[in-house]
Amino acid sequence: MSLNQVLVFLLLGLGSGGLIAGIGMGVVLSYRGAGVINISVGAIAMLAGFCYWALRTGDFGITFAAPWAVTLTLIFAIVLGLFFEGFCVRPLRRASPLAKLVATLGFLLSAQAAVILAFGESARPQPAILPGGTVLLFGGAVQINRFWIFGILLAITLLFAGIFRWTKFGLGTRAAAENEANATLFGLSPNRLSLVNTVAMSLTMGIVGLLAASIQSVDSQTLPLMVVPALAAAMFGSFTSFGITFVAGLLIGMAESLLTYFETFSWFPTSGGPGNPIPGVQELMIFVILVIAMLFRASRIPGRGDIIDRRLPAAPRPKAPMKGAIRWGALAAFAIWALPYGFREGLIYSLIATISLFSLVVITGYVGQLSVVQISLGGVAGFTVSHLFTNFGIAFPWAGIIGVIFAIVIGVISGFPALRVRGVGLVVVTLAATDAIQNFGFGNTTWGAGNTGAAVPSPSIFGFNFGSNATFHGLGGGEPSPLFGWFTLLLTIIIGLLICNLRRSGLGQEMLAVRANERAAAATGINVRNVKLIGFAIASGIAGVSGVLLAYSYGSITADSYGTLVALNFIAFGYIIGITTVPGAVQAAVGVPGGLFAFALLDWFGLQGNWLSFVGGFLLVLTLIHRPGGVALDIFYGPPKKPFKERPLGRMIFRPSPVLANGAAGADVTEGTTAGVSS
Amino acid sequence: MAESILEIEKMSAGYDQADVVREVSINVNAGEVVALFGPNGAGKTTTLRVISGIIKPSGGQVRYHGQDLTKLSPTKRARAGIAHVPEGRGIFFGLTVAEHIRLGYRGEVIEPEVVYEYFPALRELRDRAAGLLSGGEQQMLAVARNLARRPKLLLIDELSLGLAPVLVERLLPVVRQYALDSQCGVLLVEQHVALAVEIADRCYVLSHGDIVLHDSGAALKADPDLVVASYMGQRALPDEAEATA
Repeated sequence: MSLNQVLVFLLLGLGSGGLIAGIGMGVVLSYRGAGVINISVGAIAMLAGFCYWALRTGDFGITFAAPWAVTLTLIFAIVLGLFFEGFCVRPLRRASPLAKLVATLGFLLSAQAAVILAFGESARPQPAILPGGTVLLFGGAVQINRFWIFGILLAITLLFAGIFRWTKFGLGTRAAAENEANATLFGLSPNRLSLVNTVAMSLTMGIVGLLAASIQSVDSQTLPLMVVPALAAAMFGSFTSFGITFVAGLLIGMAESLLTYFETFSWFPTSGGPGNPIPGVQELMIFVILVIAMLFRASRIPGRGDIIDRRLPAAPRPKAPMKGAIRWGALAAFAIWALPYGFREGLIYSLIATISLFSLVVITGYVGQLSVVQISLGGVAGFTVSHLFTNFGIAFPWAGIIGVIFAIVIGVISGFPALRVRGVGLVVVTLAATDAIQNFGFGNTTWGAGNTGAAVPSPSIFGFNFGSNATFHGLGGGEPSPLFGWFTLLLTIIIGLLICNLRRSGLGQEMLAVRANERAAAATGINVRNVKLIGFAIASGIAGVSGVLLAYSYGSITADSYGTLVALNFIAFGYIIGITTVPGAVQAAVGVPGGLFAFALLDWFGLQGNWLSFVGGFLLVLTLIHRPGGVALDIFYGPPKKPFKERPLGRMIFRPSPVLANGAAGADVTEGTTAGVSS
Repeated sequence: MAESILEIEKMSAGYDQADVVREVSINVNAGEVVALFGPNGAGKTTTLRVISGIIKPSGGQVRYHGQDLTKLSPTKRARAGIAHVPEGRGIFFGLTVAEHIRLGYRGEVIEPEVVYEYFPALRELRDRAAGLLSGGEQQMLAVARNLARRPKLLLIDELSLGLAPVLVERLLPVVRQYALDSQCGVLLVEQHVALAVEIADRCYVLSHGDIVLHDSGAALKADPDLVVASYMGQRALPDEAEATA
């Protein structure tokens, strides 16, 4: 290893670092200007990138010269910004920060699905817009475009920093961010400020999308997921500082580049034989960076004093759960036997997804913590089952039980950050954790699936095989076997009844108290820490069961079976139907991609699962606007008699600004007072 | 008679379909300081919020310079010259004093000199973030910033909240002076009745959503029992009157 080489790789990192910094800028603009923790900024950059690619290569029928294509792409970015503001931001300006974040998740899913539907999954080599060529520095060739990216984004950073510091517009945005109501009294128009900032964000993302063309090809994953390191960078800047976000983004990119260099050395840990550096180290590093950023900066993220409705979706007491379980259970048991194999497979996947969503009902619906990591915990259990068999010969039921215990252990550990970090902060951390577990954990050949897949033995007891490949095929014929379906159904019903009971038990009441207000709960003598950790343990155990069942149903699992996208889709569908109740979870699970509804769409109309994601993303935003609690709550309260009306301003106004200048005394009060989903 | 700036006629308003103030009529003239008293929950703050447009009245009319305000958004009302200093001061803790004075909508002309003329103490605090100011300084800034807008109608909610009476004694005369200088109408919601009657031309007492007393400041100053009695919901308290006699 030579110093010169290290320096060259650091310089190469300016490229991806610049992109991370640019996306981080979008995160900051969205937060300061519109009060949204926007996880779809990378997706907007991706859309712009594809737009440019299509214009340059004539995918739309006409091939444009570079200057025209650039202009049209930037106009497209502005239009996207206007749409984003009108669809995701404006209607939800009074919603809780978490609802706003979930809305951007809807946009992200729709954008990704749209790109896959329009252009396919393969990466497109983009025509570069930056000059090519290299310079010789420190004895290595460094592409000039790295310096261009750095320079252009530095200029944008300085521009925004200046605007926010010195112009009336910037001052107005800062004032409105701190207290929207008071800004209105000063004659400012928060709506207009939000619109301009969103368009500025979208335009910046357009530029990032164009610049990305020069160092990577466009696909539906890379840029959208770059929001994870960008969130880490923005976290260092407390979601407010353009300068710190830029520097942090740059450093993260450089560190990633340096890791790429280290991977070439023999001392770098390998997985699956020499020459195969261990995967996912970059994602792991970003997760660690994010945790560090959280520890040092989280209390300094200014809460917004805007006029928001902090109420959570209701989690009503279950009504006659046994009746529902018998009625729907009998129907499902019959369907498992009678349906043709494709539908049966969809139904079994939906049942497994139901258990996954049950885990979200406990942790989000009851305890009020939105954790993305639940699906990964299922993966932990699934991979444990696989490796217990291949490495130690342990099979059902012990493998499954150990897998679930393992998921509980990891789940409780993952719950510890939630003792300090709440609401949107927890979403960001667990999102990074999911990404890290998928790449570092599941992508690893030693304890994950590597690139191929990990085999899982069929479950059997006393030599009686009831796995999906069992010989009994039922009326519908073909695999998976109804025996496995019935087994899954049985577990689903048991867990469903248990959570219904949990909601009615004393512990359930304590969970709801913690969800509503942690301080008030503590004041009434509830041990908030224990309730949260027990909640995480229960939820993780349930997620583990679903992961084990998924592993058994496939017979072989890959890193993607429990990936970030699956997790985000589950959360999206859970939110659409209702994440606080058992019937909500069941209905949502029917709808998830891969489930029964998705198969019906494919079989009857030939529609791919991406159509479901595409529509699902939009439905998610519409649900958040019109039925903030999810449509399943109608079962309990009946359909709303009047169309949903925004709460009047006066009721929610004049909440004193939650943070003092520069994180002075009082800053730690920020979100603790209104814990849980609302913060 | 001075020009009428604000006329509220039989206005009712409240939250979630429940009226907090009922058929209240108040008027404020140019250059006049009008005080609004009342016990907790009487509807004082609600009245101010209706005027600045944050909540919509359920009945009656609010006229500003003779023009019906119903259709104007809070932003437009502010731009038309209605300044509202809300409870909690309505300033931005992350912005410095100087930034507050630069803050404004597009095309707004703010006169920094007005601020420093009425509150010279703020000159030295120019570069300090508002969150780091003391309560009194923050209140000064809130009033000063709204004076700098040259409003035609100034609404002040609980100037004295969280402040020592000594400070209130200093702030209120500034408001009085400003109203005289600029012919701005001032509607002042206040708990410190004794301090407010000193500077108010006229006073209203609001109790349970109704105006129960309307008199000149001088009259109330001369007979403090009037206000006390109206707070209790009676015209007079016989035994107390006898006791003091």
